[in-house]
Amino acid sequence: MKPPALLRLALAGTRTDTARVLLTAFSAALAALAAFAALNVLAIPTPAATDENAGRWSEQYSHALLREPGLRGGTAFALVLLTIPVLALAGQCARLGAPARDRRLAAFRLAGATPGQVTRLAMVETGVASLLGTLTGLALYLVGRELLDRPDERGQLALPTDVLPHGGAFAAVVVGLPLVAGLSSALMLRPVITTPLGVTRRAARERGPGPWAGMLIVAGVAGFIVGWPVMLGRTVDGPYVGLALVLLIGGGLAAMFGIVTGTGWISYTTGRLLRRYARHPAALLAAGRLMSDPWAGSRAFAALLAAVTFGAGAAALRSYFVTQDRLMREESRVAGGEVGDNPFYLSTISLVDLAVAVALVIAATGLLVAVVEGIVARRRSYTALVAAGVPRGTLGWSIAWQAVLPAVPAVLLALTVGTVLGRAFFGDVVRGSSTYAVCEASEALCADPATREQYTRITESAALRAVPDVPLEQLALLGAGALAGVLATVGIGLLFLRSSTATEELRTT
Amino acid sequence: MSQLRALDLVRSYGRTPALRGVTLDVDEGEILAVTGPSGCGKSTLLHCLAGILRPDAGQVLWRGERLDTWSEAARSKLRRTEFGVLFQFGQLVAELTAAENVALPLLLAGTGRREARETAVTWLHRFGVAELADVRPGEMSGGQQQRCATARALVTSPRVLFADEPTGALDSLTGEEVLTTLVRVAREQRTSIVLVTHEPRIAAYADREVTLRDGTVDHTGLGLDAPLIGGDR
Repeated sequence: MKPPALLRLALAGTRTDTARVLLTAFSAALAALAAFAALNVLAIPTPAATDENAGRWSEQYSHALLREPGLRGGTAFALVLLTIPVLALAGQCARLGAPARDRRLAAFRLAGATPGQVTRLAMVETGVASLLGTLTGLALYLVGRELLDRPDERGQLALPTDVLPHGGAFAAVVVGLPLVAGLSSALMLRPVITTPLGVTRRAARERGPGPWAGMLIVAGVAGFIVGWPVMLGRTVDGPYVGLALVLLIGGGLAAMFGIVTGTGWISYTTGRLLRRYARHPAALLAAGRLMSDPWAGSRAFAALLAAVTFGAGAAALRSYFVTQDRLMREESRVAGGEVGDNPFYLSTISLVDLAVAVALVIAATGLLVAVVEGIVARRRSYTALVAAGVPRGTLGWSIAWQAVLPAVPAVLLALTVGTVLGRAFFGDVVRGSSTYAVCEASEALCADPATREQYTRITESAALRAVPDVPLEQLALLGAGALAGVLATVGIGLLFLRSSTATEELRTT
Repeated sequence: MSQLRALDLVRSYGRTPALRGVTLDVDEGEILAVTGPSGCGKSTLLHCLAGILRPDAGQVLWRGERLDTWSEAARSKLRRTEFGVLFQFGQLVAELTAAENVALPLLLAGTGRREARETAVTWLHRFGVAELADVRPGEMSGGQQQRCATARALVTSPRVLFADEPTGALDSLTGEEVLTTLVRVAREQRTSIVLVTHEPRIAAYADREVTLRDGTVDHTGLGLDAPLIGGDR
């Protein structure tokens, strides 16, 4: 197939296909922005050590996260983590109108296209959209860099706008992101590519997902609990650093994955209970859908739950640092000094909160795409129901039930696990455990090395220990925000219900 | 006696006219076939009569009342109480079992869950698919799905059933089986049927046939070849 024909066929489609292409480009732009920001942080050069700057700090930046070389890796990692909700959004976008696209590609196969040609068509669609998005992200990054290059009154920069990543790094993102997107879309289309008859009828699920996700959560939390003491017992070059990192990162990821996959079990179980007791048709419809595709909840809520878990963990860390500040003040008061708050960790947590808020917004966008996709994919069935006299309100309620019922327990689970992980990370706050010598004879006897030990008593001062409060207020805010986001996206998504169930659909579907 | 009447109906899609002044009556218990070539306005006429579409001009009278002036909610209520609607395909909710699909209109009308299910299973039994009560549409054949859909359309004992190419997606044998049962049940409960089809073989089941051409009534006559099923002609 010649490239123009390939491009024409790849980009042929309905309004839904256009929306999918645009949303894919949008998510690619966001992912590219996060990647460029991470590369930018890593591109900051570390100055040579001097007497005045033994820590090799980059003094041109106002924030310690950029200034201290030891913190820059973590900052870049956090920026890369921001791509998780973006990638989840991209995944949702790829599903938009997927049944219609699958049918179209299967029709190409029926018309004689080879599996390779269909694969290339799918890759070109996603790849072109992602390339456009990545280039847009690059343009936004370069423009934003110019606009934000404003030193403060001390001549320091808020962002690393004075450095640029290496050209090779730029090229890797611009080429790599569309390539990964294209490959993943080809992977998702495997059943269509294999058979010209497209997606075959699926038999109904007899049994729902098991509660094995709970074991993942327990294992993840255990890894976190074990990982931190290992980390504390490390030496810089010692053998335990790698193990501790594996336990902490692996534990965190396992717990997060457990929450997301656990939502499948929650959806199925909620649907089963609802089906047993539901009296209203809206609830019955929602129950049927929750049971027939329990993983839809996992897919739709993945980014939201990841953000909530992260946010809850950050809230627990904030509580730890607040408690630590309080103990430091108490300690200094006992010693007769006066120590103020140390805002470094708290302001860092504020940055994490900001990242969580951004992730929640991106996740809500992904959820909106999922809701609209669900409506559009079922428009034939919905229109037939409306034509048969089913009120649109009933359909709207069923969609709302379907989203909210699994979301409430899933968000509560994410809040709990996030808080437990945050608490497991540092544990209780302990300050002031120290020993000192008390002379129980004359100063001369205590000073004489021969008698010092005999007349000197070693006393240990009591350590100050405090258990950080469970940050109920912040957790409630986070949970309420996440659920409000779910409700808002469902509300916006329902605006598409009327147009998707217009009677004209009876003629066109 | 005429219970549903179309008077000089006009309906266009953009600049394309679909109906150009159609007048017809549907009597109580009558089976009326609307036939004609593709694009002649058959489905549009059915949608206007069922209150799914509003005509651009003309009137639809249901028992003497102007149905076309009713609100969307009122027309929806009429469709789930007095009317039944049956399409070619795509009308069953994929995630619900056959019994739940058939029970849906009853639940919407406020019938209790247990009673709705029992009634639904009875109707599935009448259409010979009772054993599929707990099976989802994806696991059924096209004919089985259409029997369930027909049971759902009739479960509220509607006064009029609107069927748009109800056997169009089925092979001839299965189509005839479905239609035979449909006509028998409709005659038993004196439900009128407005049957849109382009197949003379299917139209032959009707008491009367109206042929449309280019959005107007071309011909009205008796469905002379119709078999005698479950009642007098």
